[in-house]
Amino acid sequence: MQQITGPKVTLAALAAIFRKEMKHHMRYPGNFVIYLLLPFLFTFLILGMGMATGGASASSYFAERTGTSNVVVYEILGSAVWMTSWVVVEDVGVVLRDEQMKGTLEQNFLAPINRITLLIGLSLADVVITSAIFFIVVGVTIAIVMPSSFFSIIPAFVALLLGLVPLFGICFLFAGFVVRFKEPYVFTQVVNLLFATLTGTYYPVTFLPYWIQLFSRLLPQTYVIADMREIMIANQTLVNLYGSIFILLALALLYPTLGYAIFKRIEKRAGVTGEFSKY
Amino acid sequence: MDPVEVTQLSKVFETKEGKFLRQSSKRVVAVDKIDFKVPKGEIFGLLGPNGAGKTTTIKMLCTLVTPSSGDAFINGFSVAKDQQRVRENLGVMLTGERTLYWKLTGQENLEYFAALYHLDPSFSKKRIKDLLSLVGLNEREGTLVENYSTGMRIRLSFAKALLNEAPVLLFDEPTASLDPQSSRLIRDLIRDLKRQGHAIILTTHNMEEADILSDRVAIIDHGKIVTLAHPVELKQKVKSSDIIEIHARNLSPQIAEALKSYSEVSKVAVSAEQGDEELLRIHVEKGKEILPRILEFLVRKQVTITKVTFIEPTLEDVFIAETGRSLRD
Repeated sequence: MQQITGPKVTLAALAAIFRKEMKHHMRYPGNFVIYLLLPFLFTFLILGMGMATGGASASSYFAERTGTSNVVVYEILGSAVWMTSWVVVEDVGVVLRDEQMKGTLEQNFLAPINRITLLIGLSLADVVITSAIFFIVVGVTIAIVMPSSFFSIIPAFVALLLGLVPLFGICFLFAGFVVRFKEPYVFTQVVNLLFATLTGTYYPVTFLPYWIQLFSRLLPQTYVIADMREIMIANQTLVNLYGSIFILLALALLYPTLGYAIFKRIEKRAGVTGEFSKY
Repeated sequence: MDPVEVTQLSKVFETKEGKFLRQSSKRVVAVDKIDFKVPKGEIFGLLGPNGAGKTTTIKMLCTLVTPSSGDAFINGFSVAKDQQRVRENLGVMLTGERTLYWKLTGQENLEYFAALYHLDPSFSKKRIKDLLSLVGLNEREGTLVENYSTGMRIRLSFAKALLNEAPVLLFDEPTASLDPQSSRLIRDLIRDLKRQGHAIILTTHNMEEADILSDRVAIIDHGKIVTLAHPVELKQKVKSSDIIEIHARNLSPQIAEALKSYSEVSKVAVSAEQGDEELLRIHVEKGKEILPRILEFLVRKQVTITKVTFIEPTLEDVFIAETGRSLRD
């Protein structure tokens, strides 16, 4: 039998997992369509609520509190980042449980690959999906509302990518919890709503009580959303935002390491209890 | 060293019982200090009823479940310590058809797993083609697995287990829910793999399958290996008794138990048959002499007898002789 060796082993496995995930995304296209529509629907919902409560002065109140009168871009950036984190939570956080229920998780665990390869492979597919969501949702909005700032989408995208790495780390942790405690959809709904509430998706984080802001600061999306708004609405550069970029880089190192370490502990325990075979 | 060596392998699960806030922990011994070896070119059958410990044993051998004590060695690698190397040396087919990606085609499934097993892409292309042809799926390679029949999915699962040409193969109920034609194909392929020198462990609760395929059979019950030998030797053990098989209705466990009061009766086992019929298997001395008394007793107890046969011992009878109950209990 001819086998590959060395780093090729991991690369080939990553490529295979990536291809498999992309094929699944393409063969279940309904999910992707929903991911594209939801940011717009949530934004319209927030705009409607704002106008209903603020009346004729809604725009000026908003500008006073957020520093911008560009409500649509402000809200769509929050929605787009929320949607990307939603996809990552649903995919990386829940996929192991999903595979467990399908019966394919054990087949992956029977193969001589590291578990981290499996988690990274799943994450890579999500980079493509979330990038597509971001470019389509934000690109369409910017092209219509403020075409002169269209190319600011590129540094904003860099901020998104930087935020995805620590988010994957958080989801590695969730992946372990979901396999351990089951009931993935209760879990993802709570996590997704918490993310929307805590990260300044639709309002500045400073509106939250101080002690809640402490939790917000632990979430990478808080920095991503704030940086994107600075880049696209206030014409800032990534260099000017070095403080939050540095925090994102630190979280990108810390969270995947921590998330994987806890995942490994839960996985080891699952081997003892036979948890991976339970439905 | 043999390709498979199992020494004092045990698994104890902790389970919770009782209602919320009144739960208590219970220890369930799934596998209890089992020992066996499988040399090259042997088919080793693990036979036992559901819940006997067969699947837990297989899952410990393939590193999905961590042993509580003891160890097993696959091609010299410990399942407790060298899990990655164990996986490289194993081809595993677990029970059921839901072990594949239904939204991928047969070929895509094999390509995916070939990459996870480190197969060189140029080699895997040919290997996949050969395997699809071997299991008769070469003309359906591009069809999504969701459109396969159950038999086709199980054959694809079987092909998947052969991808990495592992020296040790584990098949967990490989023909469960297969039609006779597909079952025959899988059995023929298993025999070919044995001839090629693979060490094969086969779990089944199908006695006929264990009998015709296995070079040696271990009968496992309540996590322990109760007997281990060549099927012919095992059947020889019960050959000294006559075995009467009675198909009947209205047969209660108490009536079956009462048959043991006859001094000639050594074992009695009851298992469900189709409809409301049950199958009574009785191991007796001087069967022809005692049969009229047994039938008279059953009729007196208002049991409806539909068929009576003297039969040659099977592995089921070995199981009854060793455990006092039927495999299908």
